[in-house]
Amino acid sequence: MRNIAFLILTVFLFILAPFEAGADISIRLKLDRKEAAIMDSVRVVVSVSGTRKSDSDPVIRGVDDFEITRGGTSSKVEIVNGRVNSGIEYTYYLRAKKEGLFRIGPAELTVDGESFKSNTEDLKIQKPRAGVARGNLFLTATLSSDRAYIYEQLLYILRLHRRVNVSNISLELPESGQFTLKQLEEPEEYQAVINGQTYQVLEIRYSLIPYREGNFDIQPSRMHMTAFEPNRRSNLRSFFDDPFFSAGQAKTVVSEPLGLTVVSLPDSGRPENFTGLVGNFEIESVMEPTSIKAGESATLTVRLSGKGNVNSIPDLKCPELDYARIYADQPVLKVEADAKGLKGSKTMKWAVVGEKEGLYKIPSFSISFFDPKSSKYRIISTSPVSLSILPGQKEQAAASIIEEKNEGAKSRAKEEVKEIGSDILPVHTSMDILKRGDSPQTPGMVSWGAVLLPCFIYLGVFAGLRFQKSNERSLAAVRAKKAAGKFVRQYRKNRTVPGDLSLAVRNYLNERFNLTLGSLTPEEAVRILKSNGVKSDTAQKLYVIIEMLENAIYTGEGNAPCDVGEDVPGLISQIEREIR
Amino acid sequence: MKRYIWIVTSILVSFFSVINCARAQEENRDEIFFNSNNACRDGNYKEAIDGYRRLIISGHENGHVYYNLGNAYFKTGQIGRAVLNYERARMLIPRDADLNFNLRSARYRTQDAIPENRPFINSVFFWIDDFSTGELFWGFAVLNLFFWAVLLIRLFRRSEWSYYILLILLVLWIVAGISFGCRWHQFRNDERAVIVQKEVDVLAGPDINDTALFKLHEGAVVHNERSENGWYLIQISEKQRGWIPAQAAENIGK
Repeated sequence: MRNIAFLILTVFLFILAPFEAGADISIRLKLDRKEAAIMDSVRVVVSVSGTRKSDSDPVIRGVDDFEITRGGTSSKVEIVNGRVNSGIEYTYYLRAKKEGLFRIGPAELTVDGESFKSNTEDLKIQKPRAGVARGNLFLTATLSSDRAYIYEQLLYILRLHRRVNVSNISLELPESGQFTLKQLEEPEEYQAVINGQTYQVLEIRYSLIPYREGNFDIQPSRMHMTAFEPNRRSNLRSFFDDPFFSAGQAKTVVSEPLGLTVVSLPDSGRPENFTGLVGNFEIESVMEPTSIKAGESATLTVRLSGKGNVNSIPDLKCPELDYARIYADQPVLKVEADAKGLKGSKTMKWAVVGEKEGLYKIPSFSISFFDPKSSKYRIISTSPVSLSILPGQKEQAAASIIEEKNEGAKSRAKEEVKEIGSDILPVHTSMDILKRGDSPQTPGMVSWGAVLLPCFIYLGVFAGLRFQKSNERSLAAVRAKKAAGKFVRQYRKNRTVPGDLSLAVRNYLNERFNLTLGSLTPEEAVRILKSNGVKSDTAQKLYVIIEMLENAIYTGEGNAPCDVGEDVPGLISQIEREIR
Repeated sequence: MKRYIWIVTSILVSFFSVINCARAQEENRDEIFFNSNNACRDGNYKEAIDGYRRLIISGHENGHVYYNLGNAYFKTGQIGRAVLNYERARMLIPRDADLNFNLRSARYRTQDAIPENRPFINSVFFWIDDFSTGELFWGFAVLNLFFWAVLLIRLFRRSEWSYYILLILLVLWIVAGISFGCRWHQFRNDERAVIVQKEVDVLAGPDINDTALFKLHEGAVVHNERSENGWYLIQISEKQRGWIPAQAAENIGK
């Protein structure tokens, strides 16, 4: 089965090979962190996409002050949205020889004689950490500054240093009513050297924004995990140190508490329109298109972006314009996180529908924020944008607005309808409603009659049918009771004529047992009598009589007198007695 | 012969007199309604109130008349009586959009936050509140007619299709019957009352000297448990009940 799957995959990749050849080649360089200490190991990954082979290994510029070690290569093929991407990754490890800020890259690679260059990344190398190593497993917490302004963004970094294998890690962050913590990016893992010992470090970065003034302690963070200590009998790492072979111990490591002083924003120089934005921000505005006909619309976009408490970026308002109508779109806030903190942007859009022709300047938008680095308030403004409104036909204007409503403004959210007054709806004045009236709330006799009538009709018909059936049954019973008497009377009248006697016997059986026989055979008569409880001897006697009568009739003596030799009325009386 | 002519003439005269009388009453009703509507439009709400009330007292109970009366009270600032008449109108024309809008507006202006206790059966038979008793009754009557008609057909012809139709009708007949029964029960046992005074003290007993437990304000809909010597024992929740003077509240049901 596995062989078949492998074969299918191979054929599939072979088929895809032509697509790969035509793909664009790009090269990208990525460091596993932006800051490290001397002797720390920084991982560099050079990713090449669009090909799985190159003329040579990539050459990385800017690594003269580093020891570089090759980490290996790996190739990949992936299919995303039906597109096939193949690539190769080269991994290297850098170890800095001195401190400073270095620009790593670009990485250069030659594929089929054509050379490609990657991006560059900055790496800050600091002095070796003087931290105290606390055994094989410990947690440290650092704060980017122990003094901050209210709403200023700080970095709270947790680092788990370990020289043992761990699993099932869970984290308990400090709780406080004085600041908010938000995780930045995914945790990073790298190697670091502390006091000459190499540790595997798991680093988690948080954005910390204080929202109360004063001096306070940031309580320690706690990390719970299962640790697999190395074999103590030997200093060498044993094969059996692997978590697969050992049960592990539950461990909790605690970071050190940190102090933080939060000061209020200065009152001096605070602009009137200050809304509490702290950080570093930029603002820009664009009008597209800058020339429209009356009735057509242009889009004014104002984008406010920067780093800091981006969630507090206020919604800007566009002033009313005499020459155009303004329709506001729902502002879009985008918040991103990188290793240096939260950054984001708020984009506000307005549809500007021109009404009066002319060349106009849209007033600039301004906003103020506090820059904690310079400890000053700053006011930033957009540069004024101009809008030229050309003459346009009213019909065209209306059509364009409708068109815009239907198509153009797909991304524009509708404004909530705002109440500008409240009153009740007017009285109902139609005379018809008075004449029509309402359905009576309490059903009257007639109404109940209408409900009960179908039931009564059904019951009446049902009872009638039942009565009819029972009546028919009772008539048959009366006839059955009188059948014997009627037979005796007929017998006395025509006792010696076989034809009449045979008819009288048949009539008797028909009436007695509610039958409709047109003719009667002796066997049939016996069966009828027996089925109604008459004894075999008695039935046999009637059998003999009927057979005798039939013989007489079929020999042409049906009208001649004959002697049946039996007391026929007595036999009928006996039959009557024996019937159940 | 003369005698017969005299009798026939008398019968005809009486017949036409009754018809004329009914027509006169109808014209009078239309006139009152028309004048009240005009008074409402001109802002003479007191006159409008008198007119609508006369119509109701003279037996022309109609959801729209109650609605108009509620509007007139609303305009005079009597929110309690407005709520009362809107609620009465809702029994008759529950799906009227104007009525429901105005009732919401009136309730919005009331002061007391009293949760509406919706009976469990109304949650199960959720459509009950959207139909008047009369509508549910006639809905049931029509289903009843079809149900017995199919049963009747099956007395003579027991076909398969009639069996399935009978099953469907039986289910609908039961549902419609329960819906009507519940609504009728609620209509006949409607013990809701509306506070019509600006403010009323709810006392611990039916005496002016009893301890005041809490206050209610006009427009509050309460449950009137029983009346006793000009006092109502009202309840708004299991923990809040007490006595108020009968003139402070008016029952929605009559």
